[in-house]
Amino acid sequence: MIELIAQNMAPIMFVSLIAFLLLGYPVAFSLAANGLVFFAIGVWLAPYSGGTITLDWSLLGTMPARLFGVMSNETLLAIPFFTFMGIVLERSGMAEDLLDTVGQLFGPIRGGLAYAVIFVGALLAATTGVVAASVIAMGLISLPIMLRYGYDRRVASGVIAASGTLAQIIPPSLVLIVLADQLGRSVGDMYAGAIIPGLVLTGLYVLYILTVSILRPNWVPALPIEARTLGRGVTSLLVAIAAVIALGYGAHLWLYETQGANADILGATIGVIAIYIYALIDKTTGLNTMSRLAQQVIMVLIPPLALIFLVLGTIFLGIATPTEGGAMGAVGSLFLAAMKNRLNLTVIRQALTSTTRLSAFVMFILIGARMFSLTFYGVEGHKWVEHLLVGLPGGQTGFLIIVSVLVFLLAFFLDFFELAFIIVPLLIAPAEALGIDLIWFGIILAVNMQTSFMHPPFGFALFYLRSVAPRGSYVDKVTGIKTAGVTTGEIYWGAVPFVIIQVAMVGLVIAFPQMVMHYKGVVVDPSTVEITVPGFAPLAPGGAAGGGATLGAPNFGAPTLRAPSLGAPNLGAPVVNP
Amino acid sequence: MQGLLALSRGIDNVTEFIGKSVIWLIFLAILISAGNAIVRKVFNWSSNSLLEMQWYLFGASFLLASAYTLKSNEHIRIDIVYGMFSNRTRQRIDLFGHVFFLLPFVLLMTWLLVPYTWRAFDNGDISTNSGGLIIWPARFFLLAGFALLVVQAISEIIKKVAIMRGLMEDPHPFISAHEQAELEGAALAKEVAELEKLAAGDRK
Repeated sequence: MIELIAQNMAPIMFVSLIAFLLLGYPVAFSLAANGLVFFAIGVWLAPYSGGTITLDWSLLGTMPARLFGVMSNETLLAIPFFTFMGIVLERSGMAEDLLDTVGQLFGPIRGGLAYAVIFVGALLAATTGVVAASVIAMGLISLPIMLRYGYDRRVASGVIAASGTLAQIIPPSLVLIVLADQLGRSVGDMYAGAIIPGLVLTGLYVLYILTVSILRPNWVPALPIEARTLGRGVTSLLVAIAAVIALGYGAHLWLYETQGANADILGATIGVIAIYIYALIDKTTGLNTMSRLAQQVIMVLIPPLALIFLVLGTIFLGIATPTEGGAMGAVGSLFLAAMKNRLNLTVIRQALTSTTRLSAFVMFILIGARMFSLTFYGVEGHKWVEHLLVGLPGGQTGFLIIVSVLVFLLAFFLDFFELAFIIVPLLIAPAEALGIDLIWFGIILAVNMQTSFMHPPFGFALFYLRSVAPRGSYVDKVTGIKTAGVTTGEIYWGAVPFVIIQVAMVGLVIAFPQMVMHYKGVVVDPSTVEITVPGFAPLAPGGAAGGGATLGAPNFGAPTLRAPSLGAPNLGAPVVNP
Repeated sequence: MQGLLALSRGIDNVTEFIGKSVIWLIFLAILISAGNAIVRKVFNWSSNSLLEMQWYLFGASFLLASAYTLKSNEHIRIDIVYGMFSNRTRQRIDLFGHVFFLLPFVLLMTWLLVPYTWRAFDNGDISTNSGGLIIWPARFFLLAGFALLVVQAISEIIKKVAIMRGLMEDPHPFISAHEQAELEGAALAKEVAELEKLAAGDRK
């Protein structure tokens, strides 16, 4: 009997961990206690285990070094930096301005407000990276407008909740940082891998709204004329955009002589800064050569785009590590808040308090997980899990599907930090044994974890939306009409189509690993290079002449974000896996 | 019991003061990290001591703030079952957890960290990175963080017993994580609205 227990310590330990966690005591310390209790039992039972338990008391002496490893992990430093940045930005009013303006821009078309929500959701995801902030801003700004002009309540609340969760999958999301750390990969690669799936997912949301607008046009009406406060003037905006492109291209040609590969970015920067300054002058002097819409769009969109470049651009170009990118983003967010007159000591102190609180509980879950894993590996738990999962039918695909289902279900009651620190490390060995690329695997996990944010009835995005959506009926401020509130049932039903899209997305990422695998760079395949170059040709020096000649030139600076992965596959900081 | 409660209040005040002070270390870490990135790009100069300083500061802040996080009942729980129990049962679970989960672990770690820190201090160990920092302060933050958790655990046990005996109100009555999310959402919405008003006022 005692041998039987000793030889099956791993499953016993795992089941009891579930019991420990469900008890409801803080996760960090339940994990540590579980590790400690089974450490003691393991040492006692080791002689009966036939060699499957390799624990003895002296092994506990390695804990301080393991704790030190958690503390000195440079990758995880990005957590407080990006958290701080997100909290400052959510108080900066940036989201509100974006929603107002983009809503005006897209409003005149059918489904326009919903597209605006998706577009702004993706933009916010690339800056704040906080689900709560995006959902709350949209719930406060866009939801009342959508209700006012007759949007279907389910579509309106669903699109807001789902767009808010984009923050989980589009870089610089915390999920991706934590997953990269736990999978032992660089954050830069994880970010690069997440970009296309993030954009595809955004596209699927748009596609859904498009379908709704065709099949059920009265669910997503266009804004009536009287609601278009910024007036018309899309032509003026198009002219402005054309001017930016011309200016940027001109600057590129001019700078290429002296700056070489950097000319693309410098040229684009000059074009963007010029139009921003022009819009600013145009507005303040009352010259008004541009339409009000164009002014507003330029002045509202450029600061967040600059911030995205400051953070993601520098990371992808290899100028900054993700940690430094986070720090620069944090400083940038302070500037942005100051520009909008929203910065004071209270805001900074509150942001720091929330950041410290989050850091403390996240890092202590990791500390608890270090104690747990010391014992779990000592009773050969990793081998047990590997054995369990490698033997699954269906090879790679079977494993990925089962893990997705598992994570989907576990996410009902574990949040992504707990999943990442407890479950993910156990999945590495089986994934590698099946030859699965860990970045690809990480993105699949990330989409699953994102889904858990909008899945009724547990998804947190739904609760954030609930907190700001009107419960009972209210009198609309603009029309003076009594409007019914949004029921919790409507919020839940609205999320369902998006959960289905998420499941489809998981399937897509599994079916098309190329979406992720481009992070490794595409230089190896000459046919790909030939396909890519024509796309860049308009910006190549001397127009068509550049095309063929620059194919092999290593210093040919391609103008898009994709390009850096061609030459510099190792963008991120070296990963320290404690 | 009154004496013990006074002790508990004393402990709470200390950990709260520390927890509220160390938030600025994160701010410092942000400034150093951003400055470091810019200086490295522009002047092509970097220093390992500045790189290490960032995680020293972050480590100090999250470790020293952990006791305060415990006091504020903000270490996250899985409340799917916990939330279904009666209040009495939840109090018992907390007390049980404080005594048998938390205290043994933090005591053991503190006990192991004392010689670990002392060795680094005694040898004057320095980071193996060239120009790196002296090591013992980092280890000391670990030790101090866990030591603070030990005293905070004692304070929590005292308070829990007092609550169960009806001697004091529960400072953190249970609310589920989802209700918490709704409350936080509403609070944030209010705050952003106030800031908007302030900013609008300034513009006038």
